[in-house]
Amino acid sequence: MADARRGIVITVFSTASAVGKTLISINMAAELAKQGYRVCLVDMDLQFGDVCNYLQLQPQRTLTDAVTALETDKNSFAVQDFLTTYDRYDVPFGVMAAPLRLEEAYNIQTASVKEVLLQLQLRFDFVVIDTASMFSDINLTAMELSTIVTFLGIVDFIPTIKNMKSGHDSIREMGFDVNKIRMVLNRSNSKTRIDLQDVEQLLGSEFYHILPNDFGAAQRSIQTGCPLVLDSKATPLKTEMRNLVARYTNRPLEKAKEDSVSWFKKIFQ
Amino acid sequence: MAYRVILVEGNQQMLERLSGVIRSAREFELAARYQRAGDALGQGSVFKPDIVLVDIDSNDNVSLLEDFVATFSAASVFCLSDKWTPSDSEVIAKAGARGFLIKPFTADELQEAVATFAKTGISAGAEVFSFFSSKGKSGKTTLISNLGFSLAQKTGQQVGIIDADVQFGDMAVFLNVAPKTTILEAARDINFLSPVTLNGYFAPVDDNLRVLCGTSRPEYAEQIGIKNFTEIIAMARSMFRYILIDLPQGFNPISIAAAEASDVTYHTAMINGGFEIQHMQRALEIFKAWPDYENRVKTIFTRVSPCDKEERHKLSQALGYPVAAIIPNEYMLVSAAANNGQMAMRVEPDSMFAQTVNRLADDIIGKTHIRWGNP
Ligand SMILES: Nc1ncnc2c1ncn2[C@@H]1O[C@H](COP(=O)(O)OP(=O)(O)OP(=O)(O)O)[C@@H](O)[C@H]1O
Ligand SMILES: Nc1ncnc2c1ncn2[C@@H]1O[C@H](COP(=O)(O)OP(=O)(O)OP(=O)(O)O)[C@@H](O)[C@H]1O
Ligand SMILES: [Mg+2]
Ligand SMILES: [Mg+2]
Repeated sequence: MADARRGIVITVFSTASAVGKTLISINMAAELAKQGYRVCLVDMDLQFGDVCNYLQLQPQRTLTDAVTALETDKNSFAVQDFLTTYDRYDVPFGVMAAPLRLEEAYNIQTASVKEVLLQLQLRFDFVVIDTASMFSDINLTAMELSTIVTFLGIVDFIPTIKNMKSGHDSIREMGFDVNKIRMVLNRSNSKTRIDLQDVEQLLGSEFYHILPNDFGAAQRSIQTGCPLVLDSKATPLKTEMRNLVARYTNRPLEKAKEDSVSWFKKIFQ
Repeated sequence: MAYRVILVEGNQQMLERLSGVIRSAREFELAARYQRAGDALGQGSVFKPDIVLVDIDSNDNVSLLEDFVATFSAASVFCLSDKWTPSDSEVIAKAGARGFLIKPFTADELQEAVATFAKTGISAGAEVFSFFSSKGKSGKTTLISNLGFSLAQKTGQQVGIIDADVQFGDMAVFLNVAPKTTILEAARDINFLSPVTLNGYFAPVDDNLRVLCGTSRPEYAEQIGIKNFTEIIAMARSMFRYILIDLPQGFNPISIAAAEASDVTYHTAMINGGFEIQHMQRALEIFKAWPDYENRVKTIFTRVSPCDKEERHKLSQALGYPVAAIIPNEYMLVSAAANNGQMAMRVEPDSMFAQTVNRLADDIIGKTHIRWGNP
C-alpha cells in the first residue's frame, strides 16, 4: 500500500462561525462529483454539524461507527461501509456523517479520525472536509494532511476581521505550507462599510477567490437540500463556486455548459 | 490626610515586616500594632483608626471579626491571610469586614486594596451567569457586553465580565479596551492572587464595570488550565455582584467548567433560518443531566423578528423549553456599535434592543415585569 495513490484533501476552515463553510463544502463536493470525480464529504463539525441537515440526509452510520470499527479491528475495516450516499440529482458523492450523539462527538479520538481520513484518501479522488471554526487537534490534523486549506472569511464587522487576522497569523506560524492556504472571501458585498483592500493589507495576503453575497440562493439551497451547483437556476454565487472548484482542479469551466455564461458575466463583458 | 492603621498580627516577624510596609506606604500611618487580638479590641479604639488589619490565620481571630467590626465601627476592617479561599470570603463578608489582603503585602497592594474595597466592600458572592452556545455567531458577545453595562448602571454595583471565549474572544473589541493582562495571565497567576490583586487583571470599562479579556492569540488558549480557570471564577465571586462569562461555542472543557461553576447558564442562539432550534434542543438534552437544570439552564434567542410575545411563545413551543428572553434583529445598530467600540445600549438607549437588554437585566436583578412582550 505504500505507493497507493492518495486523493486530494480540501479542508474548509474559518476562524469565525457562520461564514459559509458548510454551504461551500457541500457545493465543492457536488461540483467535483458532477465533473465525474469520486468524492467524499466529511462532516468534521463533530458536535453540531450541518452537512446532513443541509443535504437532508438521515445517515444510518456515522464517523463514530467508523472510528469504533477501526479501533476494534483495523484489518477488516472498510471505510466505505460507513458512508451515506447523496445522489438526489444523479450526481453521487459519499458523506461521512458527524456523530449523532454529542457524547460521541466529545469523546472521539483524533488519531482514529486521522486514520479514517487516510483511508478515505485511498478510495476517493477528492475528500472535502467541513469543520467547526476553532483550532482543535482534529482540525489541525485535517489541515496537516490537506492538499489545500480553504480558509474562508467574511468581512462583516471588526471582531471577525481581527479573528481572521490572528488565525491567519497562527496558521503561518504553525509552519503550514503557505501555498496550500487559500484565503477565500464569502458574502462579498454584504452590508459592510469595510474596505476589502484594507483587510488584505492587514492579512498580508490577497483573497484567492471571492464569492458574492446571495442570501436568498444560499437559504433556498439549505431549505431544499439542493446544492447550488446542482440547481438549474444560474446565479453569480453558483458560478463563482464553480469557478473556485475549477481553479482547484485546473479545469476551467467549459464555455458550452448551460450556466457558464451567466447573466453576471454578460453584464461585465 | 493619611489613613490611620491598626495592625493585628500573631507572628512577630510578620508583624515587623508588615509594620515596615505600612510605614513606608504613602498616605498610610501605623497608629498601633498588636500580636494579640484581645489587646487590639481592648485598647485600639484610643487611636481612632481608619483601617484595622486583622490576621485571620492566627488563633481564633476569624471568630472575633464581628467584634472587630462592632468595636471599630468607624473604621474598615480588612483581613490578612497567607492564601485566599472562597469560604474565607463568605465568612469575612458575613462578619461585615470590608476587604481582604494576602500577606505579606506591598505598599502598592495595600493602597490597591483600600481603593478596591472602598466603594463596595468585599462581595458576599456574586451571581454568575455563563453564556453558552451550540454554534458560534449566536449574538452572545453583543448581548453580554450590553447586559453588563445595563446591570452596572441599574444597580450601581460591581459587574465583572470574563471573556472565556479563549481562542477568539472579542470582548476587548466590543468594550474598546486594550488590556495589559488577560485571562491567560490570570489563570497562570491565580494561585498567588487575592481578590485585590486579581482585580488588577480586569480592565476598567465604565463605572462599576470591569472585564477580564480573552487571549491575544488563539494558540494561548490551551495554556489555560481548567482548575485555574474555575478558581478565577470562584475568586471573582468575592469581587463583584454579577459576573457574566462569554464562552467558546459548543461543549469543551472551558464551557463545561464555566457552566458548572455558574448559577445560571444561558443557552444563546441566533435566529438565522437554519437548524438553530435543533442544535439547542440537542445541547439542552446534555444539560438535563443536572438535577436542577430547569433553574440553572435558560435560553435566549437573538435577532428575533418580530420580537414580541407571540414569537417568543412560538419559539418556546418549537424548542419544547421555556425561552427566557428574546432580543430583536437590530443588525445595523449592534454591528456599527461594535465596530466603533461603543455600547449599542448607549448609542441608542431607546432602541428596542436596549429595552430588551434592560428587561433581561431587570429579570436578573429580580424585578418583575408585567409588560413583557409589549414594548
Ligand atoms: N455567499 C453567501 N451569500 C449569502 N448567504 C450565505 C452565503 N454563504 C453562506 N450563507 C449563509 O450563511 C449562513 C451560514 O452558512 P454555513 O452554515 O454554511 O456557515 P458555516 O461556516 O458552516 O457555519 P458554522 O460555523 O456555524 O458551522 C447560512 O444561513 C447560509 O445560508
Ligand atoms: N440582536 C441582533 N440583531 C442582529 N444582528 C445581531 C444581533 N446580535 C448580534 N448580531 C450580529 O451578529 C454577529 C455575531 O454577533 P456576536 O459577535 O455578538 O455573536 P457571538 O455569539 O459572540 O459570535 P462568536 O461566535 O463570533 O463569538 C455580529 O455581526 C453582530 O453584529
Ligand atoms: Mg457549518
Ligand atoms: Mg463572541
